[in-house]
Amino acid sequence: MSARGLKGGGRLLAFAGCLIWFVLTMFPLYWIVITSFKTPVSVVDGPTYLPFIDFEPTLNAWRDLFSGNRGQFSSTFLASSLIGVTAAVIATAIGAMAAYALVRFPFRVRLGSAILFFVVALGGYLAGTLWFGLPRAPAMLDAFAAALLLSVLANRLPLPGPVLGNDDIVFWFVSQRMFPPIVAAFALFLMYTEFGRMGFKMVDTYLGLTLAYVAFSLPIVVWLMRDFFAALPIEVEEAAMVDNVPSWRIFTDIVVPMTMPGLIATFMITLAFVWNEFLFALFLTTSKWQTLPILVAGQNSQRGDEWWAISAAALIAIIPMMVMAALLSRLMRSGLLLGAIK
Amino acid sequence: MSRVSLKSITKSFGDHSVIPPLDLEISDREFVVLVGPSGCGKTTTLRMIAGLETATSGTIMIGDRDVTDQRPGLRNCSMVFQNYALYPHMTVAENIGYGMKVRGLPKEDIAAAVTEAGRILNLGPYLHRKPRELSGGQRQRVAIGRAIVRKPDVFLFDEPLSNLDAKLRIEMRTEIKSLHRRLETTVVYVTHDQVEAMTMADRVVVMNAGRIEQAADPITLYEAPRNLFVAAFIGSPSMNFLDGHLATGPEGPLFRAADGVAIPTPLRSETTNGLAVVLGIRPEHTVAEGRDLPTVTLKVRDVEPLGPHTLVIGTVGGAPFTAQVPAHARIEPDDTIRVPINTDKMHLFRKDTGDALLNQAGVFGGSNP
Repeated sequence: MSARGLKGGGRLLAFAGCLIWFVLTMFPLYWIVITSFKTPVSVVDGPTYLPFIDFEPTLNAWRDLFSGNRGQFSSTFLASSLIGVTAAVIATAIGAMAAYALVRFPFRVRLGSAILFFVVALGGYLAGTLWFGLPRAPAMLDAFAAALLLSVLANRLPLPGPVLGNDDIVFWFVSQRMFPPIVAAFALFLMYTEFGRMGFKMVDTYLGLTLAYVAFSLPIVVWLMRDFFAALPIEVEEAAMVDNVPSWRIFTDIVVPMTMPGLIATFMITLAFVWNEFLFALFLTTSKWQTLPILVAGQNSQRGDEWWAISAAALIAIIPMMVMAALLSRLMRSGLLLGAIK
Repeated sequence: MSRVSLKSITKSFGDHSVIPPLDLEISDREFVVLVGPSGCGKTTTLRMIAGLETATSGTIMIGDRDVTDQRPGLRNCSMVFQNYALYPHMTVAENIGYGMKVRGLPKEDIAAAVTEAGRILNLGPYLHRKPRELSGGQRQRVAIGRAIVRKPDVFLFDEPLSNLDAKLRIEMRTEIKSLHRRLETTVVYVTHDQVEAMTMADRVVVMNAGRIEQAADPITLYEAPRNLFVAAFIGSPSMNFLDGHLATGPEGPLFRAADGVAIPTPLRSETTNGLAVVLGIRPEHTVAEGRDLPTVTLKVRDVEPLGPHTLVIGTVGGAPFTAQVPAHARIEPDDTIRVPINTDKMHLFRKDTGDALLNQAGVFGGSNP
């Protein structure tokens, strides 16, 4: 039954329920907005709710924020935007390609070669550091390169054991999001530090944080895009195949336009994840490429609970995502597939 | 030259074999229709010609080229799909010209080909519309337009009219036939609709469970089906079948069945006495036309007036039977009528193998070659 079918009392009840929920979700946002326009005195004096009636609004908190007294908001905002957009674009692009491949092309990975990869990668690293006295970073890079090469070659051999298919690969992708992020963040920090020792600075760089976010966003992109691609009518691609259109052009000219709403939704979700992400940014940045969540969280510890200032800072972190969602939601209209098939 | 030849083609999905070794020769400019019930392997066969499925074994030749292991794009086929498979974000003109654009042909050539295709298919006024703004028939025309600008060696149609309504289907049938006459290209056309197969084909290939039951021109299929399956599949309303056996009569073998049915056959007398057979007779051949013919007793269940004539549906000795009577015959359900059997047009099949012993092409097969 739809809510439209409700009559009289039921309708009123449903409306009241919606209203309560609306107030419940909107009130914190409203509270932050008005607090950011309050003076310190009107914040600590007890609750006031209506500007111009309860209290006299002031722009002090905002002026304070942009004057640089509370950290470099403009440069942090820029860092957040740059890293967020780059990571979301790259993750969506690569993840979409991976998802398309996983939907349309059958892969067969022998469990034996996967185990071989693990053994060679870990064993090679240990051997490199313990026996050959290599520094950690080169030992790791060499071990991984050797493991990749060997396992790809081994996959062609008739190894015993089960053969993994596309669904297993997808599960493997998604399983990377199952362990606590702190594990990955800590390991990444150690790895980046090792790279730094080799003269390749990764901690507190644009590249370092962006790469970490791309890697951590990929599973969710693959997972989401796989469903969008699976929903496409395969005949449209087959028609292009018969017409001698190369695979990459089928992807860019036909598949991508048909899944545009899905791509935009996935981009939005990835961007929101990267924009709000706290843990990686905390570990992998120190000053220059710090992102907004770190700065906002730092407000309290640096200056004490100055709620007017914290509210203004939080709003700066929230508003760009709201604007972005409003703009992109227009492009997420459905019905792009209309007319392709009966 | 664009002959298509399939030599001992097989197809299995895993352990499941859908096409046992299959041989088929399609000559240049021939319009061949593959027809059969769903799951008979007709679409798989077409997709193997297109290259969208790879043959498990065997050889596929187009003209003098061995295309067995070629990818679809290199085979120079065009394919029209049941569900149109248009590019939804492109206009009609872009849909038709996309393949040429990808192949890097000059813009003027593309525009000329698109205009020409639009003219042939009456799509002129719609060239700048998106597929979603077109009707089903127009969408399928766009798909055909996309196929003809390719100037292919072979046209492949996969049930292209199944999604259209009945009237449009008949129109498009004629259009595709005249297109074939104009373009003089080999056509392989898949359908489950035997009327479509009969009306369009130079040669109909009747398939069942991956095998070719019979490949012949429509009239031969109708008059001389090689076995029970083809006899039952071709013709609308379909052929009536009566189970019985052969017995000795005064002037040669008799067909005997329940309810005292005894019909003289032109089989030679050495045909095994007592052989279990199936008599087949089409509803349109149950008309006496003033001759003295053997009859069967029909218990009427329903009467279907069609205009030119009326169909009487009922049972003969328990088996379903449809007879044709003149339009104004006064027959009511639950009547019992005598229905003549035109012995010149009747068919006999062996019960065990289903092979024809007798049809309008004459007597053959079985123990009576």
